[in-house]
Amino acid sequence: MPKCLVCYKWTLDEKDIKIKPGDLSLDTSRAKGKISDFDRNAIEEATLIQEQHGGAVHALTYGTSAVKQSLKDVLSRGPETVYWIVDNSAETADACVTANVLAAAIRKLGPYDLIICGEGSSDLFNQQTAARLGALLGLPCVTYVEKLSVDGDTVKATRKLADCTEVATVKGPVVVSVLGTINKPRIPSLKQVLGAAKKPNKEIKIADLGLNAEALQSKAVHKSVKGFVAKRKNIVYKEPNAAANVGKLTSSLAAEGVR
Amino acid sequence: MNFQLTEEQQLIEQSAHDFAKEYLDPITGQLDHTVEFPMAVVKELANHDFLGLHLPIEVGGAGAGFVSYVAVIEGLSRSCAAVASIMNNQAMASYAIQHWGSEVQKKQYVQALVKGETIGAFAIYEHGPTPGIGPDALVATKSDGGYALKGTKAYVRNAGVAAVYVVFAVTDPADPKSLTAFVVDAGVKGLRVGEALTTMGLKGCPVADVIFDNVTVPDTAVLGAVKSGGDVAARVLALASVAEAAQTVGIGQAAVEHAAVYAKQRVQFGKPVATLQPVQTLLAEAATDCYLARLGLRSTAQLVEDGKPFETEAAMVKSFLARLGSKILIDTCQVEGGMGYSETMPLPRLFRDIAGTTLLDAPADFPDYAIAASIA
Amino acid sequence: MAGIFVFSEDGALAKQLLTPALELKQQLSQPVTAVTSSEADAKELAAFGADKVLVLQAASGWTEGLSEAIYGLVSGGGASIFLVGGTLRGKHVAAYLAAKLNVGMSTDAKSVKIEGGKLLSTRLLYAGLALCDEELALPAVVTMPPRTFLPPSPAAKAGTVETVKAESDGRIAISDVTAHGGTGVDIAGVTKLVAVGRGFRKQEDLKLAEDLAGALQAEIACSRPVAEDEHWLPIERYVGISGHIVKPELYLAVGISGQVQHMVGARESKVIVAVNNDEHAPIFEGADYGIVGDLYEVLPLLTAAVGKNGGR
Repeated sequence: MPKCLVCYKWTLDEKDIKIKPGDLSLDTSRAKGKISDFDRNAIEEATLIQEQHGGAVHALTYGTSAVKQSLKDVLSRGPETVYWIVDNSAETADACVTANVLAAAIRKLGPYDLIICGEGSSDLFNQQTAARLGALLGLPCVTYVEKLSVDGDTVKATRKLADCTEVATVKGPVVVSVLGTINKPRIPSLKQVLGAAKKPNKEIKIADLGLNAEALQSKAVHKSVKGFVAKRKNIVYKEPNAAANVGKLTSSLAAEGVR
Repeated sequence: MNFQLTEEQQLIEQSAHDFAKEYLDPITGQLDHTVEFPMAVVKELANHDFLGLHLPIEVGGAGAGFVSYVAVIEGLSRSCAAVASIMNNQAMASYAIQHWGSEVQKKQYVQALVKGETIGAFAIYEHGPTPGIGPDALVATKSDGGYALKGTKAYVRNAGVAAVYVVFAVTDPADPKSLTAFVVDAGVKGLRVGEALTTMGLKGCPVADVIFDNVTVPDTAVLGAVKSGGDVAARVLALASVAEAAQTVGIGQAAVEHAAVYAKQRVQFGKPVATLQPVQTLLAEAATDCYLARLGLRSTAQLVEDGKPFETEAAMVKSFLARLGSKILIDTCQVEGGMGYSETMPLPRLFRDIAGTTLLDAPADFPDYAIAASIA
Repeated sequence: MAGIFVFSEDGALAKQLLTPALELKQQLSQPVTAVTSSEADAKELAAFGADKVLVLQAASGWTEGLSEAIYGLVSGGGASIFLVGGTLRGKHVAAYLAAKLNVGMSTDAKSVKIEGGKLLSTRLLYAGLALCDEELALPAVVTMPPRTFLPPSPAAKAGTVETVKAESDGRIAISDVTAHGGTGVDIAGVTKLVAVGRGFRKQEDLKLAEDLAGALQAEIACSRPVAEDEHWLPIERYVGISGHIVKPELYLAVGISGQVQHMVGARESKVIVAVNNDEHAPIFEGADYGIVGDLYEVLPLLTAAVGKNGGR
């Protein structure tokens, strides 16, 4: 009956972000919030484990006041309760600060048998949270998991790496980060959506976490963010005659010295 | 006065959008061609609690209100109005049985309808102009312990796939007020489903005659009280007409959005056509019609939720959309021009679908009659 | 232990990272220490610029299990920068290290330099939509992807090699290590790629692309759906944000629409060519040259034209 904690992030949907012409800065004004893609997989995985083995699933998030929009969404996907930490520091928090805050909250809420994160957030994709949590909490950590199974107090995780897969077996509490391919997050049914309103959510005040100012100070800072705009020749051959187009292309490639 | 959906209603609306994106978008074009009843999708509707959306929690429903219901119908219709029709007709049957059914009837059918194990249909129309009147009326002749049903019901949605029909027949052919509702199993002896109509649109939601050749049903098959069928039909059809208006708005909205995206991409005379004034007018009018219709629709749905009279308002929304539903599609097709005329694009299907939503449940002129009667 | 540290379980990648390490050595006047668990790699690293190489001797070769041991080497203080090879294993180790050291970490940095006493890196955000300059106070950890740099020239004088006993993480047992199927081709290392997408109707049709690749002496690559959904090609061939990032001389995308997730993997190519029958497909915005046409018609013509000109 494992007690699972899922750490998730409420991010801006990168599909809605536009690049302003001119200075190439990002226009996020129309960007809607979403549960970070792989965190959705993490929540789904925890819920699947709970459906199979019993136990409990809690969710935890740290962000700006925007995270309050996420609570019902998260609760409709399986967790029985969601803990949220809202602080302005989240606006510019780097992976170090995020891990400090989450670890402090977990020490307060814990212990948990399984702490599940997504492999990386869909906005910044630092891919650091899980390993940092393992280090800070003194727990073993298995990252990049595409298959997870629980047997009593033993966790078996299949990791997918660039050149191979391997199985990591751990007894006792463990931190895990999951890949997007581990499962297909369900679309909550209406009862789950409506039931979410009845589930509890609890704020954790950052002041109660016993963190000093240094722990909340980002060590990696974004100095400038510019949209990527392709600078390509954009020469398109669209004659009705395919052979003509091919002829032009081969000449162009020869001129480029690429053959 | 709050014109926004509540948080719960917004979540339900978002669920419908997510569902439509996941399960309807992939099949919509194909369904229009194969015209096969999309059973797998209907099962998913059941799994996601949409088939019981409007029913009480005690019977396995979600206990949501009518505003949520129309928001869902609109949301699903943006992707596939045919599936919304199937859902709506299912809901007409389950609503009728839940509200007027005996304990036995409710126990036998409601949960199965909510779970999608049974498909339901609502057989009210006949080939004659008004149900229960004239030689085309379905007649229920009293016999010992039951009734014998003889005649034909027409334009029955979900016919053939349905395992249960809510059927309306007059017990006295000379008295239209004797209209009585029955709950009839599809497998009963003498019941035959005619050939499915090849409809202009909403393909995938079957429409056919249901022929009753001296079908014997017991007294316990009566839904509600004998001769109270008129009340049952009036109530269900009134609600259904509001839901159909939601279908119209959903289809219209899909057309507007598709045409807008197209207009921004399509370059003619060196500029996107979206910058050309005639195109802007077409898009603006279509978007405005959808917006206003939606407001009227939701306001009417709120009256339903509040238990207030809503028939006049429903007629107004219907009338507005009957006039403008097709206009929205004609205009958005105009925006897309020659490309939009191609059946590989969605607008031709939306054009055909929207006609179905303004035609099928009440003739366009009837709402005006009802509205005028209420104000003059 | 002071200075600049380089680590990767991938020897070739560790060697590549000596290039930026040596640059940083110039800027900071600090020695470069490479950490490895392979004796063979150690010799190479010592020969190509590491002032010192520490070889970890542990019971288990599992890279991630050496995280605590690596931390032990540097926890004494004085370390300024950790350049870690940005494989998935490397990123795990790097993040662990960063947490234990309580320092910042920049993931998948495309460049590093010292500016104003801080480390400045560039990296992608928002699934490749944006580039960002990230500034980290020292000490800092940075992971860099394979092939960001070429390895340096051999050093005038080889560095020292020292063996250190290390404990691996006994809490995790590793088993069932299975290599992915595939021919072992490394599409990130070739100069020409013909990439196939969903424009191909069936698997057999990929032959058209293979013929073209043959004529061009290119390798075949693909978009994510072709590998992950259709399974027409092994995942080792897929280009995209969660697949390979490639930088060939020629990237010829056939029947690929050109979504950001794919283009992030290809947009550093020298010349990008697209063949697609949809003139509005985003790929044309990301391409130098393109042909709007039916790939079934264009590809054979292109293969013949290339073959005729002795495509080299």
